[in-house]
Amino acid sequence: MNFDELFWTLQVLVAVGLLTSAIAAVRFKNLISAVIAMAVFSLILSLEFYVLQAPDVAIAEAGVGACLTTAMYLLAIKKTAAEEVIE
Amino acid sequence: MTTVIIKTTTKYLAALILTFGAYIIVHGHLTPGGGFQGGAVFASGLALLIVACEGDVIRERFKKVPLSALESVGALGFLGMATLGFMGYTFFRNVIANSGFPLFGEPTPLGINPGYLNTGGTLPYMNIFVGTKVLAGLTSIILVFYLLLEVRENE
Amino acid sequence: MRRALGLFAFIGFTLFLIAAAMSLRPFGEPVHTEMDHYFITHAQEEASANNVVTSIVFDYRGFDTLGEATVLFTAVAGVLMALRRRGVKV
Repeated sequence: MNFDELFWTLQVLVAVGLLTSAIAAVRFKNLISAVIAMAVFSLILSLEFYVLQAPDVAIAEAGVGACLTTAMYLLAIKKTAAEEVIE
Repeated sequence: MTTVIIKTTTKYLAALILTFGAYIIVHGHLTPGGGFQGGAVFASGLALLIVACEGDVIRERFKKVPLSALESVGALGFLGMATLGFMGYTFFRNVIANSGFPLFGEPTPLGINPGYLNTGGTLPYMNIFVGTKVLAGLTSIILVFYLLLEVRENE
Repeated sequence: MRRALGLFAFIGFTLFLIAAAMSLRPFGEPVHTEMDHYFITHAQEEASANNVVTSIVFDYRGFDTLGEATVLFTAVAGVLMALRRRGVKV
């Protein structure tokens, strides 16, 4: 497996993972599951940034998107209802 | 949220995450990363500690940490390092680089080199100030969320 | 009617995105490269730092970082003002 095949295989895997986690984040009825899906989205996105040779953006995305935003959302959800309320 | 899993994970991971954040801040002019990224990683470690500990312990510990003052010191220090460029040049001029100043003032050898910590001019100072500012700001946001959570439980 | 309109807009937007992705330049070959060459060749002697990205962010394009720091400061100040408790200092 040379570099080109590895690169394009990784690109396809990243695209499939991003689409899956984004649709899961929208579709989940349990809000904590949706937040975890958003964290997975950010982590896969940071892997994509690292593959595209931008390690600065990858570190920022992994730190802010996958950790701090998740912590903020979890602390906010713990105060309110854990299930999505449909009017 | 204080289960045994989170407490055991925090006991082993928090020190590593904090060390990695400090490494990214201090080595910002040599390796990928910088003030903002290192501050975000450091604040992630502090958020892990905040989530894993009890409320009383957190209020005791963070009462002595002046987070707002650290934020202001970071912003003012960043502006001050930028204003240093007025010594004969323009705003944001890197006046300390290649000047022989004992701290971070050495010239760097051209080409591929292993990286020397004592180079960079104003860049390491700005990295440290911006890192302080970012970690204080993000940690205070998480802390305010956590303390607000506790209020609702008591009432 | 609304459903048909939404489907039409979706298909049109998807076709537009696919056409834009087909006409992208290959990865790593931008159109204008004079500035990149200047930064890569001169950053090490002018800013005396190995990391060219940091020397651009904090030295050549410092005003951008100043604006970013201002935005973060304003966001933190707003959150602390909106969610504060009386009598508790953070």
